[in-house]
Amino acid sequence: MSSRALLPRWLTSEHPLPWLFPVTSLLLVFGLYPILYSLWLSFFKRNPATRKEKFMPSYNWEKLFSDDRVWDAIQITFTYAFIALALQLILGLAIALLLDSDKKGYGVLRALMTLPLVVPPAVTGMMFLLMYDSSFGVISNALYSLNLLSPSAPILGTGSTALWGVIVADTWQWTPFMVLIMLAGLRALPKEPFEAAAIDGASSFQSFIFLTLPMMSKIIALAVLIRGIDLFRIFDYVKVMTDSGPGTATETLTAYAGTVYFKSANFPYASTVALGTLILVLLTATLFIKVFKVRF
Amino acid sequence: MASVKVSNLEKAYGAIKVLHQLDLEVEEGKFVVLLGPSGCGKSTLLRMIAGLESVTGGDILFDDTRVNDVHVKDRNIAMVFQNYALYAHMSVRKNMAFSMRLKKIDKKTQDEKVKWASSILGLDDYLDRLPKELSGGQRQRVAMGRAIVRDPDVFLFDEPLSNLDAKLRVQMRTEIKDLHQRLKTTTVYVTHDQIEAMTMADEVVIMRDGYIEQSGTPMEVYDKPNNLFVAQFIGSPTMNTLECQVAEENGLLYAALDNIRLPLPTDRNLQVGQALFYGIRPEHLQVSKISPNTNGATTESPLTGSVKVVEPTGPETHLYLKLSDRDICAITRDRIEIQPGDEIYLQPDLSHVHLFDRETKQAI
Repeated sequence: MSSRALLPRWLTSEHPLPWLFPVTSLLLVFGLYPILYSLWLSFFKRNPATRKEKFMPSYNWEKLFSDDRVWDAIQITFTYAFIALALQLILGLAIALLLDSDKKGYGVLRALMTLPLVVPPAVTGMMFLLMYDSSFGVISNALYSLNLLSPSAPILGTGSTALWGVIVADTWQWTPFMVLIMLAGLRALPKEPFEAAAIDGASSFQSFIFLTLPMMSKIIALAVLIRGIDLFRIFDYVKVMTDSGPGTATETLTAYAGTVYFKSANFPYASTVALGTLILVLLTATLFIKVFKVRF
Repeated sequence: MASVKVSNLEKAYGAIKVLHQLDLEVEEGKFVVLLGPSGCGKSTLLRMIAGLESVTGGDILFDDTRVNDVHVKDRNIAMVFQNYALYAHMSVRKNMAFSMRLKKIDKKTQDEKVKWASSILGLDDYLDRLPKELSGGQRQRVAMGRAIVRDPDVFLFDEPLSNLDAKLRVQMRTEIKDLHQRLKTTTVYVTHDQIEAMTMADEVVIMRDGYIEQSGTPMEVYDKPNNLFVAQFIGSPTMNTLECQVAEENGLLYAALDNIRLPLPTDRNLQVGQALFYGIRPEHLQVSKISPNTNGATTESPLTGSVKVVEPTGPETHLYLKLSDRDICAITRDRIEIQPGDEIYLQPDLSHVHLFDRETKQAI
């Protein structure tokens, strides 16, 4: 008798359970458990003086809605996500259109284009921190010489420009991701409708407007969704480049959650802010999927 | 409408030449079919006429105006593609009106034209559907509708029926021909299907390896093939071609195939010993179960073949036979009871015998 016959059926390879077990346990341990733990944590009020926690289920959630910094952070997060997404989408599509060619050398260009993606975001933050430096930073000096900026108002040190400074770093790093997705989409488009359109009298621009964009709409929606979710969770660039400053000019929701967690050690409230961010991302993404009829 | 003239046309991709100094004239209002096997350059030629491929050498003229450098959108042509090339996100109506929308033609005229085209093509009930909601035949009709609303100078068809099933192909074939008879627009049609070519064309242009092998009316190329390639390419089942040698007996020439003597037409200039291909179409082999000699009709020894396969198609029966170890085919419209293994008598119709030089493969 084989050893297999000794096992109950649900432990053999014929049953789905052994196949599902590894990935399910990973999801449960690293996905569901932290969320549930955060939720549980958010039901406690922490006393900073005694470092004791007391079960008060609605306390942190009420505080979340009345906290002005949360509303500011929501506004900054939306601004950040919207501008960065628009920039990355337009640049990504434009660069993809330029690189969509079988001519010699374009393959190398496409490969080079992906390089920023392999740089860790914190390193990108550091790079831009140096390039924005008001004394030796190449970007700052270029802007000073063009009279677009004054040395008395450094990019990351000024409230009106700091967020833009972070957005530029994010855009430099993540536009290639958009390019990759758009290129994959463009190269999968059938050639004949474009030839038919040319015969119908369409110029290149008309073909782009009437054919490329509608035919790419699903790919674009998917790219926007993936990047949009990422942008809502922005933390690393802000942490490295501005640490939410000056003041709270670049304090996004996750940056605020980090501040509450690491600086105030108010773990229950930090969990509440983090969960609030998750809910906001879910709602926005669901709304986007419904409105733009995104299909996977 | 316009005439199309191609003169000394060449196409090369790098060092590889795919079209070699082609000359072709399509008269105004004619339906010309470019026919040939895959890779013969027929689609390339069509795409060059459309302006979708650049010209390496020679000229393309529409009504004596050189259009080599005229942009595709300014050639006033319409093209129907093999895989329809419809705009998947637009309704049938929008697909058909697209060219007019680009030209900013008023909405009323657009609607009228679309209605006219849809009624011709039987698409009235499908105008608000997306292409994915249509069958293959309907999609192809939309592609044709998109072409006819433009009132083009030249219609170009690139294997438009290849993606359809056999029954629909026959139906669409008739529809395209009917459409041409109504609109009388100059048409260049590419296909590898010789039945399509024969049934639809005013003129068939047979191509091979980037050269035009022969052009003429369907019956001309069928009855008088210039060379062995055309003879074998046109006609289904294909023409029987037997390797023979001219021999003589009692002052009479005949074609010797092993021990068999094939009768030769007397109007050709033949030399004894000349190597040739003896071509006879299956329907020009008279089939009989009784020897033609028995009634004293001929003194020659009759040809006999051993039947391998019998294929009744309804109106006629195709017989696949062995004639001195050669596979040949004969077609009969008579209802003769023939079984595989039967020995039958064959009589070639001398007025339809085709002879080709063995070396040059040109018709004699």
